[in-house]
Amino acid sequence: MTKSRQVVNQPRRGNGTLNYLRNHWQLYMLLMIPVAFVIIFKYAAYPGLRMAFMDYKPAKGYAGSKWLGFGMFEKVFKDKDFFTALKNSLVFNFLDLGLGFPVPVILAIMLDQLRFRRFKRINQTILYLPHFLSWVIIASVALNLFKPQSGLVNILLRDAGLVEEGIPFLTEKWHWFWTYLLIGIWQNMGWGTIIYLAAITGIDTSLYEAATIDGAGRMGRIWHVTLPGIRPTMVTMLIMNLGRVMGSNFERLSAFANVNVRDFQYQLAIYVYEKGLAGSNFSKATAVGLFQSLVGLILVVAADWVAKRLGEDGLL
Amino acid sequence: MKRIVSLLLVLAMMLGMVCFANAEEIAAPHADCTLPADWAPFAENVTITVPVYDRSKAGYPAVDDNYWTKWIQSEFGDKWNITVQYVPIPRGDVMTKYSMLIAADETPTILMEYDYPKVAQWAADGAMTTIDLDAFKAVAPTYYQAMVDNNQLGYTDINGETYFVLSERAYYNTTYTFVTYCRMDWLRKVGYDHVPTSYAEYTDAINKIIEAGLTDTAPLGLGIPTAAYIANFGYRDVKVNEAEWAIHSSLGTPCFSWEPTKKMLKRLNAEYNQGWYSKEFDLSMNSSGASTDQQQTDFVNGKIFSYGGYMGSNVAWMNAFYENNPDAELAIVSSYQGVEEGVMDAPQFRSDNPFGMIVGFSSLATEDQLKAAWMLMEWMIQPETLYVLENGIEGVTYTIDEATGLPVVIGDYMGEGMLNHNMNIDMTCLVHAVKKTGTIEQTIAGIAPQGLPVDFTDAMIANYYELKEIADAGNAYSDPIFACSIDSESEYSATLLSLYQVDYAKLIKCDPAEFDALYDELSQEFLDAGYQEIIDERLAAYEAGKTTKLPAGKAAE
Repeated sequence: MTKSRQVVNQPRRGNGTLNYLRNHWQLYMLLMIPVAFVIIFKYAAYPGLRMAFMDYKPAKGYAGSKWLGFGMFEKVFKDKDFFTALKNSLVFNFLDLGLGFPVPVILAIMLDQLRFRRFKRINQTILYLPHFLSWVIIASVALNLFKPQSGLVNILLRDAGLVEEGIPFLTEKWHWFWTYLLIGIWQNMGWGTIIYLAAITGIDTSLYEAATIDGAGRMGRIWHVTLPGIRPTMVTMLIMNLGRVMGSNFERLSAFANVNVRDFQYQLAIYVYEKGLAGSNFSKATAVGLFQSLVGLILVVAADWVAKRLGEDGLL
Repeated sequence: MKRIVSLLLVLAMMLGMVCFANAEEIAAPHADCTLPADWAPFAENVTITVPVYDRSKAGYPAVDDNYWTKWIQSEFGDKWNITVQYVPIPRGDVMTKYSMLIAADETPTILMEYDYPKVAQWAADGAMTTIDLDAFKAVAPTYYQAMVDNNQLGYTDINGETYFVLSERAYYNTTYTFVTYCRMDWLRKVGYDHVPTSYAEYTDAINKIIEAGLTDTAPLGLGIPTAAYIANFGYRDVKVNEAEWAIHSSLGTPCFSWEPTKKMLKRLNAEYNQGWYSKEFDLSMNSSGASTDQQQTDFVNGKIFSYGGYMGSNVAWMNAFYENNPDAELAIVSSYQGVEEGVMDAPQFRSDNPFGMIVGFSSLATEDQLKAAWMLMEWMIQPETLYVLENGIEGVTYTIDEATGLPVVIGDYMGEGMLNHNMNIDMTCLVHAVKKTGTIEQTIAGIAPQGLPVDFTDAMIANYYELKEIADAGNAYSDPIFACSIDSESEYSATLLSLYQVDYAKLIKCDPAEFDALYDELSQEFLDAGYQEIIDERLAAYEAGKTTKLPAGKAAE
């Protein structure tokens, strides 16, 4: 029965292909939605990238604006503020990746171990919720909680006699550095568990039974069955996240901004806004954006190549 | 359960219908004004787009679709076959919004701003079209004559081409619409029967307020500046070096590294180190009267000594202040409060430009659209039109004061026909910057806050005359206006503002003994970050005679 269905599902040449499409056109129509989305919102914007090579003035349009070639890139690469922003972006994003990547994996495994389903679901919901809060809300709550003088956390710490002076969690650059990273991990960790929980669900239960028979305890089953079972997903996620290390989240950075932390908060998104968009310098903003995308692409391709060399499936 | 939900829904619907049935039927009067006889309705409908500031004020209707936008359409647009569409422009992010509109080929028919560098940039980028003032005069003779009467024709050109027309700013050399209030009841408790009129008195009063424990927080508000303007006029020499003024005095970029700014920051540093300001002042932005301002909240809650803002018939923070502090007494702060020999020899302040909005027109506008926009301006400048737009509907949004015969706006009216921010000023700014009603006394009465336990009209008039005295002494003047665009300014101004915000906090919070060295280091960094390029470009323009000059007698020999 299964075999005959497989035969029917095989696209054939000529009339076979037409019959196949006639029978399954609904699936292709569904596929068209994301494909159209990608074409319209990703590829259709590509002609606009030429403004990175010109001194683009909106009112003059592409035809009337002056062509600069790589002039705008040269200008950006001669700007020391660009390198400050680049350095900060790379440090923060690599740390975000290094610290943040294992957390959803660990959390997903912990959730998977819970046997009381209602408790598990409540926990999952609580963990997912921060993902749906905007950075503006998270940052304003955090800034008020962590103010050195009047923030609730510091008041409690002082009243408990644990500190004499309030800790400047978000008002001194090194404290901000760690608080910013940890809040980012807290916001994303719950949402990140979804894909790993799905991968764990896909692991063949007979493998756990076999491991138990072989004498593996709970940690042994996690180490020898769960982790190898979700390794392809982890590799895929790692490669995808590597593509974002040149990225920069303007909303998050501006929401957590204050004058005491600009040394670290000045990252590429802020650079693009201040030196590009705020001064109507769209060419500079585009040049930096294009540079970020190219480096991101190179990182993804390199990581994919390394993954394949290590025997993983890779992404591309 | 389902029945209860259904019942609740039905009740909600019925309540809504009852409310709707009770909604007042209001109708604004017609503006019967005399317009040029040769105007005729357009044969085909012409659509024009007009910018309007969106201040995101709670409780106010949408700025681009409200009772008064509809009134303009029915009174003006329908009559001349013109569709008037308003485009909201976020007040705090004007340039970005305009850039987006220009980039999308949706440049509004009218482009307007209060600051010259912004309009100069639009003109230089080709977003604005040049205009023929004779053609403008033919369509809008009243508007043109107002420009002549206000000596504004010298400001219409940039780079030798005519781009702008200008709205009126009455009494522009006094800043009487912005009023700072202080706690007179606190002053009385520490032995004063008047507001401080020198820095010595001010210092004494604030220190006594702290000693007396009249507030459990720092007694004064301070925040990080969100605009490039540095209020250092008082710290400048009474006779100013004109070249220095030309290269530094600006709303576009903070004039950090100029000596008056150093004096101002040094005083703030000393005050901070005496405990006058919160140690967390650097966590709040001072957006001059915005509803989210921490200082405003502190003043409303009775925590700080003084706070100021623009006056209008309904000043929400003053209403809230008196609700929270019914026994408090407020007085208007004197402009002489900061005077101290060697630091601030005389009170000086930035007068406004002799114009309000600088109005230009889209390079995409057709001839018909230009004409329609000019017709709107001519119609709006008519006294009959302004009267309705700024007062609304008699008995609903205003009443007539029997003694003076003048309209008094009902400040707390929040119904369908409510006037938008500051008596619809963001629409009428197309023709003038401030509501004007006869004499200055009558004009001030028209913008004095209503519905408070105290009438501040007389105090505001006295404040005006104090400002006028300073202005008459030649100590109120504005910034230079450049007849060419300063390209480096658009490139660096956003970064320099961010840098100044950081440096401002560092310099105010540092140890007074370290101030001078830190100032020198930070101001050099500021110059290197782009300010030097800006002042070099400005100096070249000044030397080429492309700037306005200081008023007669103000320049140092």
